[in-house]
Amino acid sequence: MSSGKIVELRQVLAERFPREIPPPASLLTTGIECLDRSLEGGMRRGTITQLVAPYPSCGSASLLHDLIDSMHTSASQFVALIDGKNSFEPLGNTDLLLWIRCENANQAVRATDLIIRDGNIILSILDLKQNEVQELRKVPLTAWYRLQRVAADSGTTLLLITSHYISGSCFAAVQINNPLRINDLAELSYTVSQTRLLDFIYRKNYAELGYAQA
Amino acid sequence: MPKPSLFAVIYTPYYRLQCAQQKRLRTESNQQADLPFADRQTELSDQYSQSYSSNSNSITHQTIPPVTVYIREDIASALLEDSQIIEINPTAEAAGVKIGITPSLAVARAPELQLYAPEVELERQQQQALLQLCYRYSPFIESTGPGVCTLDLRGRRNKNQEIWARDLLSRWRSLGFAANVGIGPNAELAAQAAKFANPYLEVVENSQLLRSLPLESLQPSAYLLEILHNWGIRTLGALIQLPREDIGQRLGLEGLSLWDRAAGRSAKVLHHLQPPEIFKETIDLEQRLETLEPLLFILRRSLEHLVLRVESVYRLVAEIKLQLHLDSGDKLERSLPIPAPTQDITILFRVLSQYLETVQTAAPVVGFTLEVFASDPAKHQFDLFYSRLKDPNRFFQTLARLAALVGNNRAGIPERLASYKPDNIRLRLPAFDWKSNSSISAESDQPRIGPALRRYRPPIPATVELADGKPICIHSNLIKGHIDKQRGPWRTSGNWWDPDGWEIQEWDIQVTDRGIYRLTFSAGNWAISGVYD
Repeated sequence: MSSGKIVELRQVLAERFPREIPPPASLLTTGIECLDRSLEGGMRRGTITQLVAPYPSCGSASLLHDLIDSMHTSASQFVALIDGKNSFEPLGNTDLLLWIRCENANQAVRATDLIIRDGNIILSILDLKQNEVQELRKVPLTAWYRLQRVAADSGTTLLLITSHYISGSCFAAVQINNPLRINDLAELSYTVSQTRLLDFIYRKNYAELGYAQA
Repeated sequence: MPKPSLFAVIYTPYYRLQCAQQKRLRTESNQQADLPFADRQTELSDQYSQSYSSNSNSITHQTIPPVTVYIREDIASALLEDSQIIEINPTAEAAGVKIGITPSLAVARAPELQLYAPEVELERQQQQALLQLCYRYSPFIESTGPGVCTLDLRGRRNKNQEIWARDLLSRWRSLGFAANVGIGPNAELAAQAAKFANPYLEVVENSQLLRSLPLESLQPSAYLLEILHNWGIRTLGALIQLPREDIGQRLGLEGLSLWDRAAGRSAKVLHHLQPPEIFKETIDLEQRLETLEPLLFILRRSLEHLVLRVESVYRLVAEIKLQLHLDSGDKLERSLPIPAPTQDITILFRVLSQYLETVQTAAPVVGFTLEVFASDPAKHQFDLFYSRLKDPNRFFQTLARLAALVGNNRAGIPERLASYKPDNIRLRLPAFDWKSNSSISAESDQPRIGPALRRYRPPIPATVELADGKPICIHSNLIKGHIDKQRGPWRTSGNWWDPDGWEIQEWDIQVTDRGIYRLTFSAGNWAISGVYD
């Protein structure tokens, strides 16, 4: 089936089964300027946002730390980090961070399902950056769609970090496009973050998401 | 002018038989036996909904469903001890069964008669429950007898005693017992009223009811009873017609006491007690259980009973302690703390069943002891700008599920240990009032330098070529090739005085088009410990 027909089919389904338009206040502002700008205000609550980090060293872990710090200091929000390869290195104040150390992607997806189904934590981060591509391909597509549905029901926001674009169930996707150099190790982390380049990849429109047009 | 005294007695007829019936009903898995009383159950449920909704107590907002076990009063039942019938219900009495006869004679008179053995432990536990329940209504109570409790109502402002008395009865009923409440100006009168109440009766001194009662209702000695019968005295009213002094001269102190009691002038002193807050039930099962479902069914009933008792003292359940008695004689015990104390039976039962789903016993279960510990509601000063966990109990159940999925000590809040050793971290479980210990820690005061590290756990072994003491080429399963740039070495060490001492040399390397890595040299081996990202 061609992509044009798929879009057409989605539009027909959206007209036949309309859903309410989410209120404008349904954005979770991250406090990270480049990320909020790329996502036009922040991550949409109750959806999956994907961050693609294609290079081994491109600043995704730094962005993860910035995000945790920002949620902590600005909003005192709990954050759950589901670490798909047990690679997170805690820094600074992590009092409001729930870290789940998984061994593989399958375990991480199941843990994410539990966390977002719980509904107590507003932002969950599923970090699969270090997981092998072959391992991620073994995760059935239905698992991503289930996560999407559960996140929508519980209102939890899920940030998915991967090395390549994998999920068609995410609401928006952005990509980090500047590889780091060894000279960056001597710079302040803030300076490195300022030079971070985030490129917009994809965003669903309301019709594709199943929302009725206003 | 002192206020007149007022006493109440809750009287549970054939209490020991009711306990035995309770035990059997609770361990039965068929709830259909309760169907004839479904209407009454619905009615009770409505009463509970109203009473809870009208309760201004902020502890709970849920309606606890009443326990669904009700004794079939339409079936003749009798309690058997030492080959004698010692208690019967009205249906058995109507069928001609008498106390003291043999079971064979009783069954001959009432073929449908159900015989029960006494459940001494359950009788003791339920007596405790009755006292705890009565303590809700008066601080001056006496354990008068099995299934009987006397309440001194001094200080109660409400003149209408029937409202709270019916509330007491419905709560006692929800625990599975049918009882009566009598109110009177003294304990003796209240006790007599309770025996004849249906289910509530309030009497005043010298009431017609008291006068019409037979002498046996005061349980005088057989010798005294025989004398009075010979005199033609058969009711209390007839007795008090006789002059008190003459009774004293002829029958002595016992006669005087009987006359005073018959005239409603008894000045009985109550033995006040304060029931301990112990909420515990021990059930010995009649069958050995090998599967979870029937055990959960029986446990739920016991848990409902205990929660009702906890609720009656305005407390919340903070911990559940379960002890399974195995056929092999072993006991399996586990305490299950409730992060946010609650009275919600659904939450409490979920905690219990979630634990039991993970339990495998070496032998069938033949009994259990279930105990709940009560606590006051947690006091929290809620923060205007601080978002708390919406449902702490659910969150801690999720943590337990996560621990089952990823393993113990692999989900929690990261905490650095007091050591400079790299990757020296442990996880701790968040507390119920999970919040930051400090708004900004001392560590976060210092600006971070460079990008963050992603660790390889365990480090990836590598072979490194050196030139002038610097790594210039690397071979590993992760990366291979020429090292463009390197920074280091940075040497760290610690605990040299013990076998766990460590000494590490670290390098930061940039491999052509493959990123920036941290290389470590320790104990003669090279390894890639992480990637900067």
